[in-house]
Amino acid sequence: MKPGLELPPLERLIALPDMIAYAGATWDWHRLHYDPSYLAPRGLDRPVVDGQVFGALLAEQVQDWIGTSGVLRSLTFRFKSLVHAGETVRCLGVVQAVDGRLVTVEHRVEAEGRIAVAPASSTVELR
Amino acid sequence: MMTDELRALIGREATYTAPEPLGRAAIRYFALAVGDDNPVYTDDAAARAAGHDGVVAPPTLICETNQYAGLPRDADGYAGHTWGIDLPGTRQVRGGNAYEFHRAVRPDDVVTAVWRLVDIAERATGAGQPMLVFTSRATYTNQDGDLLATNEESIIYLAVTP
Repeated sequence: MKPGLELPPLERLIALPDMIAYAGATWDWHRLHYDPSYLAPRGLDRPVVDGQVFGALLAEQVQDWIGTSGVLRSLTFRFKSLVHAGETVRCLGVVQAVDGRLVTVEHRVEAEGRIAVAPASSTVELR
Repeated sequence: MMTDELRALIGREATYTAPEPLGRAAIRYFALAVGDDNPVYTDDAAARAAGHDGVVAPPTLICETNQYAGLPRDADGYAGHTWGIDLPGTRQVRGGNAYEFHRAVRPDDVVTAVWRLVDIAERATGAGQPMLVFTSRATYTNQDGDLLATNEESIIYLAVTP
C-alpha cells in the first residue's frame, strides 16, 4: 500500500430505469430525476442523475478494491457538473497517503469526458 | 443575501425516527438499484465471512434514503428533510456531501436522523455571482443509541439575474 497506487476504475451506464430504481430505493421522488414536464421549463432536455448515487458508486469502488483488508471510514465529494440519463460515469481513485493503518484515496468521477464529481476523497482503515 | 431572519435559523434541529427497522428488502433494493453486487448485502454467509454478524447495508444507504423521514411529498415530488426555506430570486444546487461511517448498519437497526443547520455563509462564485451556502449535518443513530454515521451536506442558493 503506497501513495500513487491506482484503484481499479468503476464504470457504469446510468440509464433512466436505473435512476427510477434509485429514486424508489432511496424514497426520493424528486421530479428532476424523471419528469420531462418538470425539466423542459428549466432548460433541461434529459433527466438529471441524483448526485448522491456517486457516493454509493465511490463506496462500491473502494470496498471492491479493499475487500476484507480494510473498512471504509469516510467519503467526501463535491459536485462539479450534472450527469444525465443515459450517460456512462467512470469513478477513479488514487492512493494519496498512508498514515499507519489509515489510507486516504483521492477520487474523481468523470461522465463522457466531463468532470462530474471533484474534489472527492475517501479514507479506509486497514484491519 | 444574508438577513437576520436567516442568521436566526443557524442551530435549528430536526429529528426523524424510522417507524420500523431498516429491513433486508430495503438493503437489497438499494444495492440492486446502484448495481453493487457485493454479497455482504444479501448473503448472510458472505457477510459473516467478511466479519459481520449477518448482511449489512451499503455504507451510504442511510445517508441517502428518506425512508425514515415520514414526510409528505412537496410540489417537486421530494419527500426528504429540508429546512423549508424559500429564497425568491435564487436557484438551488447541491454542493457536496461528507459522510463518516462509524459502524456497519444492520437490517434490524431502527434509524434516527438528527439534522442540524450548522452554518449559512454568504459567498460569491468565481464569476462574482452572490450565493448562500447552507451547511447541514445529520447524525444517524439506532434504537440503542449506537452512532452509525454522520453526513454533512452543503446546499447552494445562487442568485439568479432576472
